[in-house]
Amino acid sequence: MLKLDVAVIGAGGAGLYAALSAIKHNPKIKVGVISKVFPTRSHTGAAQGGVNAALSNVAEDSPEKHTYDTVKGSDFLADQDAVELMCQIAPKIIIEMEHMGLPFSRLENGKIGQRPFGGASFPRTCYAADKTGHVMLQTLFEQCIRRNVRFFNEWFVTALVHDGQKICGLIAIDMKSGKIEVIRAKAVILATGGHARIYWKRTSNALGCTGDGTALALKAGVPLKDMEFVQFHPTGLRRTGILVTEGARGEGGYLINRDGERFMSRYAPEKMELAPRDMVSRAIETEIAQGGGFEDEEGNKFVFLDLKHLGKRKILEKLPQIRELAIDFEGIDPIEEPIPIRPTAHYCMGGIDTNINTETEIKGLYATGECTCVSVHGANRLGGNSLLDIVVFGKIAGEMAAEYALSSELPEFPVEKLKSERQKIESIFEKDGKEKLATLRNELSDALSEGAGIFRDEVKLKKALEKVKEIKERAKHIKVEDLSYTFNTNLQQTLEFLNMIELAEVTVLTALERRESRGAHFRTDYPERNDKEFLKHSVVTLENGEYKLSYKPVTITRYKPEERKY
Amino acid sequence: MEKREVTLQISRFNPEYDESPYFETFKITVHKGMTVLEALQYIKDNIDSTLTFKGFCRSAICGSCALKVNGHPKLACKTQIFIELDRFNTDTLTLEPLENATIIRDLAVDLKDAQEKFEKIKPYLIPDSEIVPQNCKEESIVYPEEVERFDKYTDCILCGSCYSMCPAAINFKDYAGPFQHARIYRFAKDPRDGLKEERSKIAYAFDLWQCIRCERCSDVCPKQVTPSEAVIHLRAMSIEKGLTLNPGARHAIAFYKSVISKGILNEAIIPLMSKGIKGVIEEMPVALSFLARGKMPPPIVKPIEEIESFKKVVALSEEVEL
Repeated sequence: MLKLDVAVIGAGGAGLYAALSAIKHNPKIKVGVISKVFPTRSHTGAAQGGVNAALSNVAEDSPEKHTYDTVKGSDFLADQDAVELMCQIAPKIIIEMEHMGLPFSRLENGKIGQRPFGGASFPRTCYAADKTGHVMLQTLFEQCIRRNVRFFNEWFVTALVHDGQKICGLIAIDMKSGKIEVIRAKAVILATGGHARIYWKRTSNALGCTGDGTALALKAGVPLKDMEFVQFHPTGLRRTGILVTEGARGEGGYLINRDGERFMSRYAPEKMELAPRDMVSRAIETEIAQGGGFEDEEGNKFVFLDLKHLGKRKILEKLPQIRELAIDFEGIDPIEEPIPIRPTAHYCMGGIDTNINTETEIKGLYATGECTCVSVHGANRLGGNSLLDIVVFGKIAGEMAAEYALSSELPEFPVEKLKSERQKIESIFEKDGKEKLATLRNELSDALSEGAGIFRDEVKLKKALEKVKEIKERAKHIKVEDLSYTFNTNLQQTLEFLNMIELAEVTVLTALERRESRGAHFRTDYPERNDKEFLKHSVVTLENGEYKLSYKPVTITRYKPEERKY
Repeated sequence: MEKREVTLQISRFNPEYDESPYFETFKITVHKGMTVLEALQYIKDNIDSTLTFKGFCRSAICGSCALKVNGHPKLACKTQIFIELDRFNTDTLTLEPLENATIIRDLAVDLKDAQEKFEKIKPYLIPDSEIVPQNCKEESIVYPEEVERFDKYTDCILCGSCYSMCPAAINFKDYAGPFQHARIYRFAKDPRDGLKEERSKIAYAFDLWQCIRCERCSDVCPKQVTPSEAVIHLRAMSIEKGLTLNPGARHAIAFYKSVISKGILNEAIIPLMSKGIKGVIEEMPVALSFLARGKMPPPIVKPIEEIESFKKVVALSEEVEL
């Protein structure tokens, strides 16, 4: 059995930063990163627009203003102590990454460039053209090579193992050999990303954003928090849902309906296109519902994101990748034509419940990044705060885990867990195969889009919950048809889907019980925010096969809830 | 919506059963806009769940899904089937795994060799303490025009397309590879880097001169990174660093000296200057066959008529910073 001091699951920005900070904390610590993909494939690389920090390079700004914008953007559901911490550390950590070689776009005076983003009072988003996540991921991977971080690439983790109090390690499939392996570890950090793939047919997410770590935690008895909050990014490409960065609107792009009107003037007169994402997405869907959108021959409905007036030079300089995506995936050159877009499932505000130190309820188990809910994003995340979240709390997780590993012994590994996990995996090969993975995955996606999408109500949510429960039963018949050991992606996709079902059910369940509208969670039957009853985090735990829903208070320090206007 | 019947010939290989790869044919209906990756997932979902390939982001930024479409390396996720059918004027596409990589199964490859070389070329910033502040309060000052010099090379997504087609990487085990040299160059031009142009010595140690400048790497790159340009710049840098004791550098220097002094190449002396006496003796049979056919270039070359104007042009061109 392999032994590590700190095992990091996931090799995106959060995982790599955690690994780096653990090693920097003490170079003697044995750190390993376990990832189902080669590190630079991780979905952090797809983040385009940028990362927020009050550097004041373009306009006078402060961590306090950043905190306020984030809290307001979150519709006051974020824990304010956590937001304060994140925004305070932000400038330092951006500069730290700059010193690691991250190639930010620069101002004429040589300082890091900053652009306006949705919901922010100042140009606060540091960026590298429209490939910020890509260069951040590359830079962190480069630093991991420099520090000799050990990688277990293309290993798919199937279980966390603990003794009821503390973590003992994990079980994973080495995809290339098909062997089921055990890694014993003093500390484990979950950094597995989000689960917006539950909206399989329309999402900006990578195929693998299936919430594996979140589901692992749930199954290990760790509570999940605020799972009803899923962000729909306003500008996904018409057909594929592929992301067009908020930076496109930050640089001055317009949203246009079929009358040629910049319709955001009716929804957010002051901020217009740069209102927070939840508001812009609702505005677009409302336009489409009221006949203000367009429809193509395939039946895709959409509005336009118009960049033409920015001019060729600005588009080529600031948004080159967006231009390429529009050409490759829509056959449209944004220099000459507007881009057809519609909201797309994008980001999960909810996730594994941790405190401000990234600790979970199990000793030695930490969680960070999109799989986690600290909460710094509350009911709606601001653009540019996700890349910040992953590095700030990735760093903290690495330090916490390293410190814990230094002061603890390697726990005994309960060997019987390996046997039962092996049996569980093998049993999927022996199902009757009455149900097909692809069919159920599409049905799950439809159930969620219809019932737990941008607009929700009691009837739709109840129907969605029934449907998800039905899918969960039917999924017991899915059989892995591929009987090979070598790189069995049929097995992996099946295990991912089983994870997705759990998270879908928790999402619908919590959405049903939150009878108010807040941030990305909009109930047409309860269109107002209700602080008296619902200014609280929802918490779901799996106990004896049943989901138990409870609530816990929001930490409020300086900013009293107020109406959210833009 | 426009639809077409298409035949996909897909290379299959499972090391548990097969001695070597073979083709399997799938006939499917494809709609306009459908990508190769979508077609593969369609087959996996509906026809053959054992079909194995890699794919992740779907938006040409993660580099997982590179494979060969009708012999050419492409990202499956951004390659539309209709466009390829029209390009080759066919209704059949052949899908194969990348070359110069180990096939794991079917279209999924292991880029281990390329990745190990990448790790060896020091692909990370080693900060220059005069540019990069020691504290975390201030950023390094880097001007936009300085970023411009290496920015394109930060677009590399490590997909392995270039490495799969590179004759030097295929034939010489010590050649770092195109994307590896591109990364060396990226840091060599970063004002924050402590090694800067010294990095060309790393490139030199990884057989920089084995590149034959076929430029396949730049042709196939899905992100328009141009590794072949990086190689050329690194060669110039390495010569300036005094790394001239190899046929490639000596050839370049001889070529340059000959041209700037006479305005025309003295072909006869190039072999001597590139390879030395030993090399000339080795090449003697070639020289003799040239001579026998009356094609031996004259050993003495007269300067061209407008040599003075030409020298002015050379002087001006030397002021241009690359």
